[in-house]
Amino acid sequence: MKKTESKTLKVLLDPLWKNNPIMVQILGICSSLAVTVQLKTAIVMAIALTMVVAFSNLAVSVLRNVIPRNIRIIAELCIVATLVIIADELLKAFMYDISKQLSVFVGLIITNCIVMGRAESFALANPPILSFLDGIGNGVGYGSVLIAVAFIRELLGSGTLLGFDVVPRIFYLSGYENMGFMLLAPAAFIIIGLLVWLQRTLLNK
Amino acid sequence: MSSNSKSVLFAIVLCLACSLLLTLASSGLKGYQIRNINLDRQKNLLRSAGLIDDQDNNTPEYIEKLYYKNIKSLWVDPSGRIVKEMDRGEKDLPIYLYIKDNAIEAYIVPINAQGLWGKINGYLAINKDGSTISGFTVYKHSETPGLGGEIERSWFQKNFKGKKIVNKEGKFVSISIARGAVKDVIQEDLRVNFVDGISGATLTGKFLSASMKDILKEYESVSVKFRQNMFKEIPENNSAGK
Repeated sequence: MKKTESKTLKVLLDPLWKNNPIMVQILGICSSLAVTVQLKTAIVMAIALTMVVAFSNLAVSVLRNVIPRNIRIIAELCIVATLVIIADELLKAFMYDISKQLSVFVGLIITNCIVMGRAESFALANPPILSFLDGIGNGVGYGSVLIAVAFIRELLGSGTLLGFDVVPRIFYLSGYENMGFMLLAPAAFIIIGLLVWLQRTLLNK
Repeated sequence: MSSNSKSVLFAIVLCLACSLLLTLASSGLKGYQIRNINLDRQKNLLRSAGLIDDQDNNTPEYIEKLYYKNIKSLWVDPSGRIVKEMDRGEKDLPIYLYIKDNAIEAYIVPINAQGLWGKINGYLAINKDGSTISGFTVYKHSETPGLGGEIERSWFQKNFKGKKIVNKEGKFVSISIARGAVKDVIQEDLRVNFVDGISGATLTGKFLSASMKDILKEYESVSVKFRQNMFKEIPENNSAGK
């Protein structure tokens, strides 16, 4: 009992830090550049991706014994694509403004290596519940980096958090300026690089 | 069963299941999505007319009510005459009227301009005098955030308010985006035809200015009617919003 419990926990928690999909496996970089200008879009993207990974893992894992080996990748892709389109439709119906800002990047979850990677390397070999948790873990691991990057970019780039002004007016009056560079994609590269550095340093201690 | 036919069977079943799910999602959510798209358009039209602020958090019901009360959509032919929506031709142009107290307060022209990286969509509201801009909004663009993307900011859009599309002699000259602040780079008597540009986004400004000129030229016949105070009739049928 003890052993299975610790395995479940490991599956859920490992991707958060020790085996983080962005910081360690360096996957999903493209979308993390594009949607981290604002905290709000990053949070929505994180939730959407978590849902997609979790449910695609679940579906692939349930079907793992019936999926023919020779067409497994196409089958996985088909499942992922279906889930992504459903997520996109849901966003368009209920969070229209945000879906407009996320534009193509929700659709591009299909090509996010994390989703396929987890289906291929974990869900095909593990039972459904465990795979579902693995999906949640990886989604949250990806999302937490996204949110961290977006936090830094929105704070320094626009002086706001979730759209609310947080930099006191007095700062601007005394000559502080928002860092326009933070709004551009290269800034995300640099922040992710710094985060990777920080994480490796802490891990190797 | 051979492994090949098993694969084919699996593929067919999976595809059917997936397409069923997609059909369900798409048809089930269609209503909400169409409402959102309409609402977004109405919100932007109201913003260009200055009826709501982009900071305001209005309920969808309020926006719909405000829209149907104040905005009318119609079509005009190239000579500026109103045509019925059902018998409009290829060359006819969409236009929106802002009705205030049973009189036309302003007319709104949809802007589908070419930007640096893609289309810029927005609305330009022009006062009933046919020459003064009363508002401008951008609701869709793909310019670089922080540079050309500043066109979606309110400081840039408020810039247009009160500017003119005609020169002092009353001749059409369109509105242009200056390279920098108007008061620094434009001589005094031409300033009414220019708005402050965005630093680092010269090309976005250039493209937007050129497109606006083309669009406003197409609508010039309507603007002329407004200038001569000949555009007064408010169409009776309230087919707005469709």
